[in-house]
Amino acid sequence: MVDLNTRKLKDVDWLLLFAPIALTAFGCLAISSSAPDSGFVKKQVISLGIGVAIAVGIMFTDYRKIVLNVAPFFYAAVLMLLVLVLIAGTQINGNKAWLRVAGFSLQPSEFAKAATILMLARHLAHVRQASLSIRDILIMAAIVLPPIILVYAEHDTGTTLTFGAILATFYFLGGMRKLLLAAGAVALVVGLVVVFPHLKRYQIERINVIIHPEEADPRGFGYQTIQSVIAVGSGGVLGKGIGHGTQGKLGFLPFAWTDFIGAVVAEETGLVGILFMMVLYLLLIWRMIAVAKSSRDRAGSMMVMGFVGLITFHILCNLGMVVAIMPIMGIPLPLMSYGGTAVMAVFIGVGLALSVRMRRFVN
Amino acid sequence: MSSTNLRDEGFNLELRVYVIQYLVLVVFIALGIRFYILQVARHEDYQARAENNRIREIPIPAPRGQILDQNGNVLVDNTPAFNIVVTPEDITNKEDTLNALVQNLDVDRGELMVQLNDPLRPKSQPILVKQNASKADRAWVAAHELEHPEIRGETQPQRIYKYGKLAAHVLGYIGQVNPKQLENPEFKEAGYKAGDIIGQGGIEAVYDKLLRGKDGVRRVIVDSRGRPISDLEIIEPIKGQDIVTTLDLDVQRVAEEQFYSKNDTGAAVAMDPRNGEILAMVSVPSFDPNVFARNVVSSESRKEVNAIVNDPSHPMLNKAIQGMYPTGSTWKILMATAGLEEGIITPKNSRIVCGGGIQVGNRFVHDSAGNHGALDIHGAIVHSCDGYFFRLGLKMGVDMIHDWVTRFGMGQRTGIDLPGEVRGIIPSREWKKRVNPRDPVWKDFDTVLASFGQGSVAVPPLQLIRAEAGIVMGGEFFVPHLFKEAKETQLAPVKYYDNKPTELTLSPVTIDIVTYGMWGVINEGGTAGGVGFPREINAGGKTGTAQVIAKEKVRGKEHKDHSWFISFAPMHTSEKPEIGVVAITEHGGWGAQASAPKVKFIEAEYFSKKFGRPILPELVAMNTQAKMEASQTGPAADRKRRPVVQ
Repeated sequence: MVDLNTRKLKDVDWLLLFAPIALTAFGCLAISSSAPDSGFVKKQVISLGIGVAIAVGIMFTDYRKIVLNVAPFFYAAVLMLLVLVLIAGTQINGNKAWLRVAGFSLQPSEFAKAATILMLARHLAHVRQASLSIRDILIMAAIVLPPIILVYAEHDTGTTLTFGAILATFYFLGGMRKLLLAAGAVALVVGLVVVFPHLKRYQIERINVIIHPEEADPRGFGYQTIQSVIAVGSGGVLGKGIGHGTQGKLGFLPFAWTDFIGAVVAEETGLVGILFMMVLYLLLIWRMIAVAKSSRDRAGSMMVMGFVGLITFHILCNLGMVVAIMPIMGIPLPLMSYGGTAVMAVFIGVGLALSVRMRRFVN
Repeated sequence: MSSTNLRDEGFNLELRVYVIQYLVLVVFIALGIRFYILQVARHEDYQARAENNRIREIPIPAPRGQILDQNGNVLVDNTPAFNIVVTPEDITNKEDTLNALVQNLDVDRGELMVQLNDPLRPKSQPILVKQNASKADRAWVAAHELEHPEIRGETQPQRIYKYGKLAAHVLGYIGQVNPKQLENPEFKEAGYKAGDIIGQGGIEAVYDKLLRGKDGVRRVIVDSRGRPISDLEIIEPIKGQDIVTTLDLDVQRVAEEQFYSKNDTGAAVAMDPRNGEILAMVSVPSFDPNVFARNVVSSESRKEVNAIVNDPSHPMLNKAIQGMYPTGSTWKILMATAGLEEGIITPKNSRIVCGGGIQVGNRFVHDSAGNHGALDIHGAIVHSCDGYFFRLGLKMGVDMIHDWVTRFGMGQRTGIDLPGEVRGIIPSREWKKRVNPRDPVWKDFDTVLASFGQGSVAVPPLQLIRAEAGIVMGGEFFVPHLFKEAKETQLAPVKYYDNKPTELTLSPVTIDIVTYGMWGVINEGGTAGGVGFPREINAGGKTGTAQVIAKEKVRGKEHKDHSWFISFAPMHTSEKPEIGVVAITEHGGWGAQASAPKVKFIEAEYFSKKFGRPILPELVAMNTQAKMEASQTGPAADRKRRPVVQ
């Protein structure tokens, strides 16, 4: 299973490995500023180490074996962890999404995303027809359903939506007819309109803040968005300097080390820092897309593109929320938000991409 | 580039990958643009908001200036009080805060709502909700510090009127600016805000701008819970200017004691005719301004305040400047001066018959003292002959009378630096026409009444003393005033009263005759001969009895005449008089009976201080008594009334 070939070492896409490490390191700087003396940086660095180890380990494995053989067990294990969370989980900030294991907090929902991607890719690896049949559509939905239900029970709206995004990505990649895709989009919009009045008050307020920022009660639920925008805007082009951000530091910006880490970066390193960060993300995504294009089979490309879609969706939702063009949904910024499990999950994707690249030539 | 496997199915995976690739690009570009908008295009705006977020300006109240008497005795001061305040900016849930305050600290909901909802009130300025909080209150606030960080206890200066009711009308009181006042453009210009505590009434009000000083400000960096982390800047407050008044505490005390010890009501003014400085001003009944000072806001307090405001005896009325009384015979001094100046009577020939009264039309107006025979002007003053002045008045005629008393300043405001002074009523044809439409024509009868200060005469005591002081000073009419000096502070230089008398040309002979006449009232067995004025001070004066109701109808005390006495000392000597006192005792009966003794003691106190020895034996006992009583008001008394605050 593991074949170590020195020739292949030259084949490693170092940029693909470097970008996420750089991003995580950059994130640590921001975390150290917004949550000083918290020990978060230490934990994040440990997670980074574990993540890199996982990625390297996966790289030297044949991804096909993982997708075909390991995925179902991984998926089942994750589902069990999700159930465990519901029974014996820890609640942080209103979300019961964590398991405490040996002094660490584990967030199984992050692994669930990776597992679902693998399972969907696995299913589509077998499909040969031109476009998705109804059966395929239903099976794919069925794969996504259990994690969605379990995550929804955790009251994690953001992650629930993420699974929807994953499913949509795979529908698109899997060859769903354009007509159906269009119909799906319409159904989505209709669904939103129907759901909107039933949203909880805080959810409505969060959406309102985006549309009508002037009306927002600064002490209400729109508070975070307003504070985030102030933090971002006040950073200017060059930022206030690492460790000199006033909004994040003085407690004006809640969750400055997780959901709003982007605001801390914007405040302390300015537009320059933000652009640098975006370049790193684009680097990561571009290299992954290149891997997908050069993959020797569908399973590989779909799987990697699945991770691409996942990462992009996270970035869109999180940074969108930081700059108030999207409502707050509790979605972290990949690699930069404090959260060990999420870092590891991304590195699973990175490892898989590296593995696909290494085996792109049909030998 | 791409492996063939991506093309061999019916749909184009490669294309779809490209679609995703470019969607990714769109997302990043959109985000990039948005970041640019916030961080570049709108940067300054957000920078300002970030600053505002974290900087709070906490006002440091400036200590209000003291008010002192002319000898440096502090009459009004500030004392630290422990108050409970609430800061609107820190309130997260209005209802919660309101309920907590109403239920636990007994705060009036309505009052607080008004202040909370006031748009003009800066949100960072704390609202005073309870003064002189009890131990239990303080404990509650401390226990709920985390739950209600917006409710705090603070030591704040509280105004204290050390002698309670003494000189209350002069000193005034303090209270919160009310909405009507805020609408006044003058107030807005002065920078008064809702919730400000300002002087209301008296010197507190008139010189509020000098007394209030300038608040300081403490600019602090706060965290998101509003807790100060560090000081950016402290601008120290500038204390208000202390105001030295012209009052003399000892003279004021004696004046007040004269009324209270005899259960009398009325008013008295002691003034230095050489410059218009007021040494004492009393109006009885009076009120305790401390009630206002310790009840700037609170529900139970309203009762205390309302008790004063609604008291049917009108304790807040300053009778010295707002009371309107017929002057009675004190008017005769004005008549005499006018008559002599006009030449109706002359120094050589001033004899007029008394006649026991005068017949006017079908009425006979009696001389209350009987028939004096025929008198010259000196005798007429000394014995207060009504008949003499009836005839003099008819010879002068109402227009001449009106003309002269107006020159003496009657019927006009004196210009004293107190609010609420009234103009009073003096005889005039035009006045009768206006107020008596059924009988508008001025008749001789009216002149007769006017000649001895009845009928169409109703003036406040201050007006009378100013007029007669000007006469005895030989034509120099000073503006009565209470302000002597405002002490210097960093903000303002020292200020003195700007003293410009009105000059009236009066013949020295006239003045001599009139002053001699007044001297005789006391020292030649005149109407005040038996009162017991110490000879050495050479006091002169005039009695007066103001009719309240026709004599035949007098039933009880409330129908008794008002008793007047006005005096200056020394008179009929080579020196100018240095003190003048006027007193009116409501329903006191004859002038000599009720008011003259009061004036005697007031002048005696003045001269005793000047000579350094008591010039009346009774003064020794009285002073001890007065000092004892003074200790019954002020802070010690307050402590007896309320539980001690630790």
